[in-house]
Amino acid sequence: MSLALVAAACGNASSSPGKANKQNDGKNATVDQPGVTKDTISVGGVASITNALNAPYGDIFKGVKAYFAMVNSTGGIYGRKLEVVTPRDDGMVNNLKEVQGMLSEDNVFAAVGLATIFNFNGAAALSTAGIPSFGWNLNEEWTGKSNLFGNSGALCLGCDGVELPWMAKQLHKTTIGVLAYNVADSKACAEGVRKSFDKFKTAQVGFYTDSLTFGTPDFSVEVGKMKQAGVDFITTCMDTNGVLAIAKEARKQNLDAIQYVPNGYDQSFMKVNGQFFEGSIVRVPFVPFETRPVPAGVAEYLKWMKQQRVTPNEYTTYGWINAAMLLEGLKGAGPNFTQKKVVDALNKLKNDTAGGLLDGIDWTTQHVEKRTPEACAAFVKVVNSKFVPAFVPKGKPFLCFKRDQGVNVPPTYK
Amino acid sequence: MTDFITYVIQGIPFGCVFALVAVGLVLTYKTSGVFNLAFGAQAFVAASLYYVLHVRHGWPTLLAFALVVLVISPLLGLLLDVLIFRHLRTASPIAKLVSSLGLLVAVPEIVTILVLGESSTFGVVGIWWNDNALYRFSDYVIDGKEMAIIVSTLLVVLLLGLLFRFAPIGLRMRAVVESPRMTELAGVNADRVSAFSWMLSSLLAGLAGVLLAPLYASLAPQNFTTLLIAAIAAAAFARLTSIPMALVGGLLLGIIQALLSGYLPPASVIAQSVKPTLPFAALFLLLLFWPGLRSAIQNKDPLSGVDPPPDPSVAVTRGRFLTNATRVSGVVVGTGVLLWLLTAATTYWIGIATTAVVLSIVFLSITVITGMAGQVSLCQATFAGVGAFSTAQIVKVLGLSVLPTLLLGAAVAAVVGALLAVPMLRLGGIFLSLGTLAFAVMFDTLLAPLGWVSGGAHPVSVPRPIGFVDDRPFLILCVVVLAIVSVFVIFIRRGTTGRYLTALRGSETAARSIGINPTRIRILAFAVSAGIAGLGGGILAVQKGVAVKEDFGYFYGLFFVVLVVTLMPSTVEGAINAGVGFALVPEVLKLVGVSSSWQFVLFGLGAITYARHPEGVLEFQKGKSLAAIQKRLPARLRGPVPGPTPVPTGGAD
Repeated sequence: MSLALVAAACGNASSSPGKANKQNDGKNATVDQPGVTKDTISVGGVASITNALNAPYGDIFKGVKAYFAMVNSTGGIYGRKLEVVTPRDDGMVNNLKEVQGMLSEDNVFAAVGLATIFNFNGAAALSTAGIPSFGWNLNEEWTGKSNLFGNSGALCLGCDGVELPWMAKQLHKTTIGVLAYNVADSKACAEGVRKSFDKFKTAQVGFYTDSLTFGTPDFSVEVGKMKQAGVDFITTCMDTNGVLAIAKEARKQNLDAIQYVPNGYDQSFMKVNGQFFEGSIVRVPFVPFETRPVPAGVAEYLKWMKQQRVTPNEYTTYGWINAAMLLEGLKGAGPNFTQKKVVDALNKLKNDTAGGLLDGIDWTTQHVEKRTPEACAAFVKVVNSKFVPAFVPKGKPFLCFKRDQGVNVPPTYK
Repeated sequence: MTDFITYVIQGIPFGCVFALVAVGLVLTYKTSGVFNLAFGAQAFVAASLYYVLHVRHGWPTLLAFALVVLVISPLLGLLLDVLIFRHLRTASPIAKLVSSLGLLVAVPEIVTILVLGESSTFGVVGIWWNDNALYRFSDYVIDGKEMAIIVSTLLVVLLLGLLFRFAPIGLRMRAVVESPRMTELAGVNADRVSAFSWMLSSLLAGLAGVLLAPLYASLAPQNFTTLLIAAIAAAAFARLTSIPMALVGGLLLGIIQALLSGYLPPASVIAQSVKPTLPFAALFLLLLFWPGLRSAIQNKDPLSGVDPPPDPSVAVTRGRFLTNATRVSGVVVGTGVLLWLLTAATTYWIGIATTAVVLSIVFLSITVITGMAGQVSLCQATFAGVGAFSTAQIVKVLGLSVLPTLLLGAAVAAVVGALLAVPMLRLGGIFLSLGTLAFAVMFDTLLAPLGWVSGGAHPVSVPRPIGFVDDRPFLILCVVVLAIVSVFVIFIRRGTTGRYLTALRGSETAARSIGINPTRIRILAFAVSAGIAGLGGGILAVQKGVAVKEDFGYFYGLFFVVLVVTLMPSTVEGAINAGVGFALVPEVLKLVGVSSSWQFVLFGLGAITYARHPEGVLEFQKGKSLAAIQKRLPARLRGPVPGPTPVPTGGAD
C-alpha cells in the first residue's frame, strides 16, 4: 500500500548534473544484448497504472519518456535512440506476472519505470535475470538486490532518525502527535518516529495512534485528543486522504499545530488544499523544483517536462531519475555495453545524483545498508499554498545529518 | 461526562454519513426488493460527474448539482430498472444481489476509464455555500460539508417518511416489491412504479455521492465501496425496512466509533483491533443476533417461484455425436496447449497458464458452494488467503515440506469455513452473502495485517517443493492437483452429498421429510468449499513465492463470484473457464490495445445476467450455438430433442 513512507534518503558527497547526452564515441558498436539494435535501445517498465487509490503512478513513464526525448534530441547514446516499448500495468498486484512478461516477451535491455504500490514480488525475478532495473523504491523488496536501483538506497521504515527531532527543535515545537493506519508499513513508520523522539528528546510524543482505519475521513476524536494533549507538531504516516482530513479537522477544532507530511510533495494537491497546510513541512525525496537558483538538473527536467507537455509531479520525477540512472550506467559501461556492465558501472558509483536530482547514492553500500552514516533529505514549507525550501540556504537543497551526532550539532548542506 | 458528550457529538456528523448510505440501501431494498450493492458505484458515478462538471469545467455548484443529482442520477436509475432490474422482479433475492454485485464491479471501472481518466482528482468541492465555513455549537464545531450531510440526511429521512406514510405512490412501491404480479392484478402499473422507485433511489445515491466526495482528498471508488460496506450494518439494524431506524443505526455506528476512539488507549492492541473493525464486526453480529432480521428478508410474494426452471445443461441435452466431438476437440486442444506450454512457451505464458490452473482450483470452491449448495459466499478469496497464510507460516515456523503443508493449509481453511458456516447458515440468502462479505472485510482489516498471520510488513516466503522449482514441472504439478480436485468435486456432486444438496435446493421441507439434515450437509459443503479455496490459495502463494495479503483482499472475493457466475457456476468446466478467463482476458485486451481494467467491466456486466441465466452466460451462449449446430447436422447424428429436466440446477462435468 502506498502509504506515506518515511524513507531515509541517505547519501554521500556531492552531485554532478547530467546534461543532455551526446556520447556517440563508438557509435553503433556491435552490441548483442536484449532490446538493443543498431539504432535503438528498448526498455520496459511495470507500474500500478490502474490502482484502487486512483493515483497517477503511471506518470512515471512520462518522466522516463521525457528524459529519453532529451537524450534522443542530441542523437541518443552510442548512436542509438532510447525508447520505452512496453509500459506494463501492475494492476491488482500482478507485478510478478508483468515482470515475467517484460523479461520474456518484450525484448528489453532494462526495466526503467518500476512503481508498484503493493508488494513488489517481481523484484526477485528482476534480480535473477540480472537486468538493470530502475524505479520508485517504496517496497522493502528493493533491498539487497544489486541490479535494482531505486530513487533511494535500502529502506528502513522502522528506524530512528535525527531529522524530525531536529526539525521540532528548530520550529520550537514541544509536543508531537503521531498518527498511522492499522497497516504494517504505516505502523512501522510511526514506530520509527516514536523511536526518533525517544532517542533525541527535543519534544515529547503527546499523542500516538497506529490504529486508524485506512480510508476513514473522520479524525474528529483524534484531533480532539491532540488538542487536549497540547500537540503542536503532527507527523503522519498516511496517504493524502488522511493528511488532508486531519488538516481540515485540526482547522475545525482550532488545533494550533502544523503537520510534517512525508509523502505530500504534489503541487496540484497543495494548490487546492494549501489553506489547510499553511506552515506545514513536506519531505521531498529529490531536489525540490522550488530550489533557487534552479539547479541545472532541475532546470533541464522542468524544461523537458514542459516541452513534452507533461505536468511535473513526484512520479514523473522518479521516471526522470530512473532514466538518468540508466544513462549513467550506459556511459559507465562504454560503447560495448552489456546489461552486466551497466549494473557493474552503477555499482561503482559512490555519488549517484541521477542527473543532479538526488543528494547522491553510494551504490557500493546502499543496496543493503539501511542506516548510512549520513542521512540527507530536502524539505519544503507550505506558504500561501505553495512550496518554499525550508531549513536550507539558497542553492543548497539538502539538509544532511551525521546519523548519531545528535540534534545539537548543526547539519550540513548539500 | 463532558468527554462522553463531546465524543457523542463528534460521532454525529460521520454517523450521518453512514445513515445517508444506509437510508439509500433501505430505500432501494424497500422499493425494489434489491439489496443494491451497486449503491456505492452509483454514488461514485454522481461524484465523478459532479467533479468533472464543477471542478474541471467550472460549472456553477447549483447547476452541476442539479444536473447530476436531479437529472442524470434518476436517469441512471431508470436505465438500471429498464435494462436490468425490471426483469428480475420475481427473481430470488440472491440473483438480484449478484446482479448488483456485477454493477459494483463494472460501473466504477467504466467511470474511471471514460470519465475521470488518468488525471488527478484533487479538490472535490461540496454543495454547501462554503465547505470550510465553521458553525460553532458550544465546544464543538461543524464545517460546511458536514452541515450539508447532516441537513440532507435529516431532510431525506423526513421526506421519505412522508412519502411512504401519506403518498399513494409510497404504498404502491411497497406493494410492487411484495408481489408485482398481485399488484398488477389490482390495476397498478408495476413497471411505472418500479421505474419511479429506481429513479428515487438512484437520486439518493447521487446525492450521497456528491455529499460524500468532499470528505476525501481525491475521488476513488474504493472509498465509496468501503463506506457502503460499513453502512450495511446500519441498514441491517433497520432490518432493511425502516428508514428512521437506518438513521438511528447510522448515528449509533458513528457515535460508537467516536466513543471507542475516545476511550480506548490509542496505541493499545484493543484499539488497533477493535476500532478499524467496528462497522464490519457490527454487521457480522447484527446479522447473527438481531432479532427479526431473518423474518424481514423472506420473500412474501405468493406468486414467486412459479417461473419455469432454467434450461438443462448443454452437456446433458446435446447429442452423442456432439458430445463426443466436443470431448475429442477439448482433449486435442488441451493436449496441444499443454505440449506447447511444456516445450515452447516462454516463462510468461507458463506463468499465465499456471495462474489459470491455480485459480481454477480456487474457483472450484465456488462451484461447490454456489453451483451445488446454492449459496453465494463473498469470502472465497479470504478462505484462499487463510490457506495461503497457514501454508506459509507452517512452512516457516515448523519447517515442514511444502506439499503436505498445502493440505494442512487447506484443512485450516476448511475448519474456518465450517466455523463460519455454523452461524451463517442460519441466515441463508442474501444475509449469508452479506455475512461472508463482513467476514472478508474483517479479515482484511483485523487479521491480515498481523505479523503472525501474513507476516505484516514482511510477507512470508513460501518455497516451491523440491522437484517442482522450475516453472514447467510446477505447472504439471498444478494441473495434476486441479485434476484431482475436479474429480473430487465431481464425486461430491454425484455422491450422496451432492444429491442431498440438490434435494435441498429443490425443497428444503421435502428434503427434511426424507431425513436429510440441511445444517450438517451445508456446513459440510461450506467446509469443503473453504478447504478447496485454501488449497488453491496455498498453491498461489507457492507459485508467487510469497503469501501476500493483497492477493486475497475482499474485492477479489467479489470479483471471483462475478467471474464464475458469469461463466458457469455449476460445473467443473465453468470453474476452469473462469480460471482461464481470469488469466487470459487481460492478455486479449492488451493485444487489442485496451486497458486490462475492461475485464472488470466485461465480467461485471456478465454477472448482471445471472438472474436470467443462472447457468452462466457462457453456458447459455454455448447452448444456443450447439442447438444451431445440432440443427444443421444430419438426422442420424442429432441427439434426442432436449426436454425439461427434473434437476434445474444440475450440471455436467
